[in-house]
Amino acid sequence: MSDLRVSIGGFFVLVGLIVGVTGLTANYRAPLDFANVNLYCGISMLIFGTIMLWLAWRKAR
Amino acid sequence: MRLAPVDYLILSLYFVFVLTIGWIVKRKVSTSADFLTSGRSVPVWITSLAFIAANLGAQEVIGMCASGAKYGIMTAHFYWIGAVPAMLFVGVFMMPFYYGSRARSVPEYLKLRFDEKTRALNAITFAVMTVFSSGISMYALGLLFELVLHWSFTASVLLSAAIVLIYTSLGGLTSAIYNEVLQFFLIVLGFAPLAIFVVMKTGGWSGMASRLPAVMTHTWTYTARASENPMGVEVFGLVAGLGFVLSFGYWCTDFLVVQRAMAADSMSAARRTPLIAAFPKMLMPFIVIVPGVAALALSHMALGYSIPLKADGGPDYDQTLTTLMAQFYPSGMLGLGLTALMASFMSGMAGNVTAFNTVWTYDLYQGHIRKHAPDSHYLWVGRVTTVVGVALSVGTAYLASHFNNIMDFLQLVFGFVNAPLFATFLLGMFWKRATGHGAFAGLLAGTAAAAATHGLTVAEHKGGWLGATLHTFPSTMAQNFWIAIFAWSTCLVVTLVVSLMSQPKAESELHNLVYGLTEIPHEDVPWYKRPAPLALIVVAALVVLNIWFW
Repeated sequence: MSDLRVSIGGFFVLVGLIVGVTGLTANYRAPLDFANVNLYCGISMLIFGTIMLWLAWRKAR
Repeated sequence: MRLAPVDYLILSLYFVFVLTIGWIVKRKVSTSADFLTSGRSVPVWITSLAFIAANLGAQEVIGMCASGAKYGIMTAHFYWIGAVPAMLFVGVFMMPFYYGSRARSVPEYLKLRFDEKTRALNAITFAVMTVFSSGISMYALGLLFELVLHWSFTASVLLSAAIVLIYTSLGGLTSAIYNEVLQFFLIVLGFAPLAIFVVMKTGGWSGMASRLPAVMTHTWTYTARASENPMGVEVFGLVAGLGFVLSFGYWCTDFLVVQRAMAADSMSAARRTPLIAAFPKMLMPFIVIVPGVAALALSHMALGYSIPLKADGGPDYDQTLTTLMAQFYPSGMLGLGLTALMASFMSGMAGNVTAFNTVWTYDLYQGHIRKHAPDSHYLWVGRVTTVVGVALSVGTAYLASHFNNIMDFLQLVFGFVNAPLFATFLLGMFWKRATGHGAFAGLLAGTAAAAATHGLTVAEHKGGWLGATLHTFPSTMAQNFWIAIFAWSTCLVVTLVVSLMSQPKAESELHNLVYGLTEIPHEDVPWYKRPAPLALIVVAALVVLNIWFW
């Protein structure tokens, strides 16, 4: 069902962007983190969301 | 735990998407079958992910992390022997009867196969149980958010219930299933980084293992005797009680999960649903259990982290997950982690509500109250039942917050009712001589045997209420496994004996319901879409995992 892939992909692209941009701009840190958690997780979610959208697009074509 | 605006933004975005999915799906709902059974039209990758997501409630996620910290990687038994083999069994052997019988629910299968009283017994206990378990999980979530975020109990309970209510009453089962898929990905992407970070912090897998007693990082090595492992279980109780009776009883007969497979768009897809679901299920321990295990190792390092304590000074393992999130996730990911927790809660609750809905509407209302109404009437009943189910859950959540003992008691009773179920289905599906009287008597006797076992044995000061104590178990977990074993065996024997003494159904009435009288359609599909090869691949992967973490 390509509809669902669009919803899931869209959600994670948006959240990935929000979290990634937070990592780039805001200096939030957690007590025990050892990297820019927001940046890396944001990029991962962005990639996952894009793959979902690509799968939906490929199916719809 | 302090949240920044970005965390609230992510949480709100999730709510918007969940409601939008409900809204989009609504257009497809025109009959009661669309609403309650998805009209058997959902693609297999979606039903597979929904199959495990419906079971992946907040209590599961929080509880598995807690058990990881308490029992170590042994907790993975709840997945590797406590779920996957049963999922393979239901897909390969049982789904042809569930799907092929055209029953709309598991209780309805019991009516077709046995009789009305067996169905009514199963439908009523199931309906009551689902409402209670969704209420109890709502209570757990409200309590956690109150403790961690200082949100009001009422606000978090009502908000989450309202959102579940809106999307399930809009789109019914399809909406619940679609959202479960979104929730599944959210749970994985929200918790997997946490597992990676915590294990890395303790020095990788070997670093973590070196900070813990060996029993915490092995699954089978210490199971020869109950006294050697923190669960207090020995290998027979574990394999027979958890791996066979409890696990098959849940994954093969519980309508909550079976409903997802029955919504699939073909017999082949229905059979593959639990098989495909077994792959992610097998890997879930790395996301939900490993953080707990690593948290214990972390607390042995001088980093300022320790397992949270209860008011009485004992460890409060249920808070392990949220304290880890606070330690490793900055605002942003923290919002996503909390959203994932909220998602797990909602997927569990929506699963319960949609299953309750179908059983109430088709098995109790249509079966006993109003038999021959037009379909639009049942669609209306289904929608109303959604509201009632959510309201009852909220009520239960409040009841649980005031009368904890009643809840413990009810959960105990439900355990007794559930324990014998698998024997009934096994005989029903694979022995055409089994009769309705036999099934009904077996279920009652099995439940009684479960209660008697609990009443005559003691574990951690629990049980023993029948006066005499015949045995003392090293842990309540071991006691539960043995209660299940006795209940199942009693149900099996009583069903056999009573069936042989009563009149069986004519064979012509048992087509598509029993093994030997059911033609399993041969589908012309490539090998990787056939149940048997898929199941073999799962078994191979399962063996590798067990040896790896032996």
